[in-house]
Amino acid sequence: MSLFPLPSFAHHLIAAVQETLPPGSFSAETAETVAARPEVAARGFRYLIGAYSAVWTILALYLLTLSIRLRRLSNQVRRLRERAGL
Amino acid sequence: MTRNVRDLAQDLLYLIVLLLVPACLYVVFAVVPTEQRMGVVQRIFYFHVPCAFAAFLGVALCALFSALYLKTRDRRHDIVAHASAELGVLFCTIVLVTGPIWARPVWGVWWTGEVRLTSTLVLWLIYVGYLVLRQNAENPDQAARWGAVVGIVGALDVPIIYKSVEWWRGLHPRVLKVSGGGGLDPAMEKALMLCTVTILLLFLYLLIQRSRLGLLQEQIEALAFAERRAPASAGAAPHPTGARS
Repeated sequence: MSLFPLPSFAHHLIAAVQETLPPGSFSAETAETVAARPEVAARGFRYLIGAYSAVWTILALYLLTLSIRLRRLSNQVRRLRERAGL
Repeated sequence: MTRNVRDLAQDLLYLIVLLLVPACLYVVFAVVPTEQRMGVVQRIFYFHVPCAFAAFLGVALCALFSALYLKTRDRRHDIVAHASAELGVLFCTIVLVTGPIWARPVWGVWWTGEVRLTSTLVLWLIYVGYLVLRQNAENPDQAARWGAVVGIVGALDVPIIYKSVEWWRGLHPRVLKVSGGGGLDPAMEKALMLCTVTILLLFLYLLIQRSRLGLLQEQIEALAFAERRAPASAGAAPHPTGARS
């Protein structure tokens, strides 16, 4: 269901853009190729490892920086409290 | 809630996330069947989509708490809004990194000008802008005010991203709402649910920690302000006494 219909020229424009994409840009076309050829599946495995490495590296880096910032600020608060005699 | 109970709840949440992450990886790599057409690379889906949900949640919470801040001027709302925006950027970054890695073997291109991809990139840029804007504000009040406006306006991009596959023809499939069958395999659906719960709990844990950071920053500002005021008032105090004597 679309909330508002696209004008017809927009459909033509999108179709024209998609025609300029390299062959195999659509999942339905390339997916069968991937399943049929083992070397493509192996390449898919490399991408899978790359993606999961990226996810956990980004999360680990964020956690690390967050814990460093938390520790630094906690120390700063403690020092300020001590200086203020609280 | 007392401090001990709060700390215990946070530790428990951390422990649950620590247990759920390997469980998710086990389910994704050992239990879920391989998708027939895309092969193993489709398993990126189980973290790509939950991270997108977490990014949307971050943006939505940022908008909600920004609106609350503008209404109440309570700095705690601004702290949660800031934390949510930062987490929104974090999870949106993961989506923007894993998306092209998945797209390359399946679509044959790293990136296309598709509406969902472009609008997600726009969302990321808006909230990176939000963080930069706050960093460069002259004072915390200005940062909170400007941030609140950007936080609310930027969230308008989320419905566009979510509905883009329905409104415009694109490469992204509609995996979650396919009428007339052809949706996800039940095992895949369960794995997606498990990963979504895990990522959302991780989001919650990070949100609590990031909000704690904001509260510590507030405390430091208050203590530094009190420290600056103390010598001034100490210097000023003897004066009236001396004048009277």
